[in-house]
Parts: sequence; structure tokens; C-alpha cells
Amino acid sequence: MTADEWKIEHNRTKRSKTMSVSFKPVKPLFQTATSSVSRWFSYIGLGIGVLLLLCSIQMFVNIQQLLKGGSIRKDGYDFISITKTVTNETMGQFEKNLFNSEEIKELKTKPFISDVAPLEANQFQIELSAGGILPFRTNLFLESIENSFLDTVPSSFQWQPGQTTIPIIVSSDFLEIFNVFAPSYDLPQVSAETASGIPVLITCSGDAGREQTFSGRIVAFSDRINSVLVPKTFLDWANLTFKGQKSEHASRLYIKTKDANNTELLRFLDEKNYKINKDKTKFGRMKQIFQGIFSGLAVFGVMVIILALLLFSFYLQLVIARSRESLKLLLELGYSPGWLSSNVSRRFIPAYLIIVIVALALTQLMQWAFHHLVMYDRPELSTPINWTVILAAVILVGLSVITNYKLVRRLVFEN
Amino acid sequence: MQLRIQNLLPSFFKKESALESEIWRKDLSFEKGELIKIVAPSGKGKSSLMNFLYGMRHDYNGTISYDDHDLRRFDREQLARYRKDYISIVFQDLRLFPNQSVFDNIEIKRQLNPFHTSEKIREMTARLGIEDKLGVVSSQCSYGEQQRVAIIRALMQPFDFLLLDEPFSHLDEANAERAMKLMLEETRLRSASIVFADLERIDFYPYTKLFHL
Repeated sequence: MTADEWKIEHNRTKRSKTMSVSFKPVKPLFQTATSSVSRWFSYIGLGIGVLLLLCSIQMFVNIQQLLKGGSIRKDGYDFISITKTVTNETMGQFEKNLFNSEEIKELKTKPFISDVAPLEANQFQIELSAGGILPFRTNLFLESIENSFLDTVPSSFQWQPGQTTIPIIVSSDFLEIFNVFAPSYDLPQVSAETASGIPVLITCSGDAGREQTFSGRIVAFSDRINSVLVPKTFLDWANLTFKGQKSEHASRLYIKTKDANNTELLRFLDEKNYKINKDKTKFGRMKQIFQGIFSGLAVFGVMVIILALLLFSFYLQLVIARSRESLKLLLELGYSPGWLSSNVSRRFIPAYLIIVIVALALTQLMQWAFHHLVMYDRPELSTPINWTVILAAVILVGLSVITNYKLVRRLVFEN
Repeated sequence: MQLRIQNLLPSFFKKESALESEIWRKDLSFEKGELIKIVAPSGKGKSSLMNFLYGMRHDYNGTISYDDHDLRRFDREQLARYRKDYISIVFQDLRLFPNQSVFDNIEIKRQLNPFHTSEKIREMTARLGIEDKLGVVSSQCSYGEQQRVAIIRALMQPFDFLLLDEPFSHLDEANAERAMKLMLEETRLRSASIVFADLERIDFYPYTKLFHL
């Protein structure tokens, strides 16, 4: 009979009614009451580490949610605009300050650039007025770009010859600027919804006194492109109609790239003396910085947790060392080392649970305070903590229990 | 159920020292139901033999097997089961938990694999005259009292073999006889065997086999 068979046969015997063994009479043999200072230190350390980690995860999520709208990233791409730097030498020479088709082709060949699109401008005169609604009249420029470079493209953003209404996409910054100066001109401040409802009149005038008025309607606001955009079909048609030529040069180009902070890209643009519109990358940078800070805090939290668990392992070793004689005798009397390990380590599970639940509650309190008192209930954020924080807490409890059990088991089996 | 020793010799013993022994380097088996008496003066390895049989030490040459299973091949869990279910011992050095009460010392063993109810603890302590010590911390008891606690503790579990390593060294003859009577009753109850190692023969132990170590 092999040892395994012996085990099986043994397990069949009526003698094996061991599972009713109580830990109660054994418990006093483990001197956990002494050396409680190091135990409390490790509990506090563990609590601080867990709190740091959970708060960092929550703040990481908050930043992501807050800066989602302002992000220039979409589908994993950054969109940045570039212009040529106008110097004293190039002043007045349109050809030198505009991008030609050769330069656009060259950009497209670079591996760090996924796509390039010119921002084409009007070649004729445009005047905008708000009709009778607002006493407002201004000269204007219109630009167009391929739809794939736009962050919001409503289905109404289309134009065909003969159509008298032009759909317009305006930079959301323009609305903000308007709302800043509107009060000083006795104009009402308008919301994005209201602005979309205001019909404006666009008067195009070109060579040989040709003039036509269209009605314009704002169909969307762009966070990405600082311009007044119309469908490409309209601009091409209008340039031909009012100026007699299509736009061949572009003053601004939009670059689609995997990483706007790619050093090769930046070096290339620098060499070419192209200027990057940094404004739109600021959100991205801010987000990167904040996420960097909170990632750092999370790493610090993990380190504190590891230190606390180490301290706890010292405490456990001390407990086992002090109870070494009792433990040895228990094993000599026939107590199973596996049973002893799981029962000794199980005693610390409530402590771990309490620590993580308290840390979770404090994180919730922090999130509530951040949302209500700091962010004034911004709709992008939510008061309840994110599910990833709860998941992290569950994983932490699991990890602590497993490492604790393994440590106790090793110490018991060493006896 | 059989406890068998083959060519056994402590690794720290010289081969010559086993020449006159009826146990060392011999092939023997102890069967259930036998009452074995092993007699030897100090230093002949009585406690070593008991520790070997109990699976506590492995510093020997030769083999010890329980039911054809080599004791040295038992893992930690199998060894725990062996001590819990099949073999019990009264250590020469008693090995009680010094800070636990007499009752707790016995109960810790009893609850592991209860052969008796806890009421039996009271009954046995009464028979051996230490009933009034049940609540007393064991380190405050006399050696004689502690020895009786160790004996009762060994009788709380089921066993096929009861190992006794000089179990009466601190007891007067009357108390030793009472304890022996109790152990014999309990062994008979289990149809088990006693392996009793001592300095000399005692009259009130009706051994069936006698060995000089």
C-alpha cells in the first residue's frame, strides 16, 4: 500500500472526525497580546498605504473624467495644428508663409505623422451679421478641413450648390470669448444651445462686384480646431465662384499623430521652423502631469503597503517565535500544521477587512468633499467612488490574506 | 495493526553498543493487544527509541514502519494524523503547556480526536486523585501531579499503541499502580498495545513480552 492509499484508507476510518476541532483552547497559546505596538504600527501603516492607493486611483479617474472633454486625443490620436513662423524676412511673401502641396506631401511621408490635412481659407471677402436679432456685424474668415479631422461632425454638416443655408462649426473658444466681451457691448451672453439657434447672415463678395448672402447656422462647437469651419464643398465652390480659383496654399495644417509629444516629431517641426499650436496640447500636458503626480502617489501607496506588510510579517515572526514551544508541542500532540496555519492566519482577516473598509469609507468621504466642495458638483464627476477603487480594495484584502496565510504556514512548517 | 522495527540503531550509537541489546539492530514487530516491557538502565536509549516510534526524531539507521508504512516517509500532515489517531505517548519530560490549567492541557488533546467526552476528564482525574487541580495552572502542580495529567492526556484519544517513557518516575507506588490500572483498562477498551520503557521491571504491569535494551 502506498502512502497515498494509506491516507485514503485512513480517511475512511471512523476515527477521522477531526474537523470539529476548536481553536478556542489553542488560542491562548499564541502570544498575540504582547508586542502589540508593532502590530498596531503595521495596521496603521497598512491603513495609510491602502488609503493613499485608493485615493490616488479615485483622483486618477476624476482627472480622466474632468479632462475628457478638453482632451485633444481621440481614438488614440493627437490632433495638432501647425503654422509657419512669420519672420521679418518672410513678411508679405505669402508663398513663404503658407504650406504648399510639396510640403504637405513631405509631412505625410514621416512615420510619426499618421495624416495631414490643410485648413483651407476663403480667398474672397466675407461679412457676418446677426440679422435683426443682434446689432452685430463683422468681417469674417471661413475655413474648411476634411471631416475626419473634426471632433464633432453632425449629419447636417453638408452643403450642395444651390443650398442657401450654410452649416457652420465654430470653435468653442469663440463662444467663450464672445461671452467675455458681450456685456461690455451691451450684448446678451449666450449659451451653446442658444448660439446654435441664432440664424446669421453670411455675405460673400468677390471679384467683379459679385455678391451673395447666405444664411448660416451653427451646427456644432469644436474643442479641437480654433476656426469657423464650413463644409469643404461650400468653400471650394465659393472660392471658385467669387475669386475664380481654388485654394492652393494653406496657412494652417492639422497633423494626426499617435503622440503629440514625440521627440522626433517635435525635432522635425523645429528644424522646418514650423510653429505648433500649443494651446490645444495644454490639456493633454496638464492631464499627463496630474496623472503623473497621482501615479507617483499610487506607487508610493503601494510601497507603504509593502512596508506595512513587511512590518506585519516581523510581528508575525515574533508571535510565532514567542509561541514556538507551544506550537512545537501542539504539533507533537498531533495537531495538523495546515489546520494551525489557517486558523492562526484567519485571526487577522477581520483586522485586514476593517482596515480596507475604513480606507474605502475615507476615500468615499474624500470623493464627496472633492465633488461637492472643490468641484461644486460638476456633472462630469460622480459622488460615489469609482468601481475600480472598490475592485482595488477587494484585491488588496485578497492579497493581504494570501500573503499572511503563506507566511504563517511557512513559519509553522519551519517548527 | 503492527509497529515494526528493522535493524534499528540510533545514528549516534556505535554498532558494538548494540551487541547485547534485544532491540537495537534486531528485527521485531509489536502487534495490537500485546503488552511490551522494555527495560534498560539510563543512557541506553529508551527515550530515543520512544521518540523514534512516535515519529519525533529520525536520527537513526534502519527502519520503523507502522502497518508497512515507513515512518520516515510520512509528511507533516500524515505524521499529525499518525499521532492523532494511531499512537499516543506519555513523555518522560511530560511536556505540558505550563501556563494552561490542568483541564485545558487535557482538553487540548481530547478535542483533537475525542475518544471520551470531557466528563471523562473529571472522572479520570478523580481516580488519580488530582480532581481538585483541574483549574490549577499546570506549572503550579507538583511533578507527581503533572505526571498524572500527562497520563490522562495520553488516554483522551484513540490509539493502537500507547508509548510510556518512564511514566511513574515521580509517582509513589500506590499512585503508579492506580495509573497503570487506568491505562490497562483504556488499552483493553481499544484492543490496543502498550510499549512501556522503564529502568526496571514493575510488578503491577502484566507484560506479555520483555526486552532488554
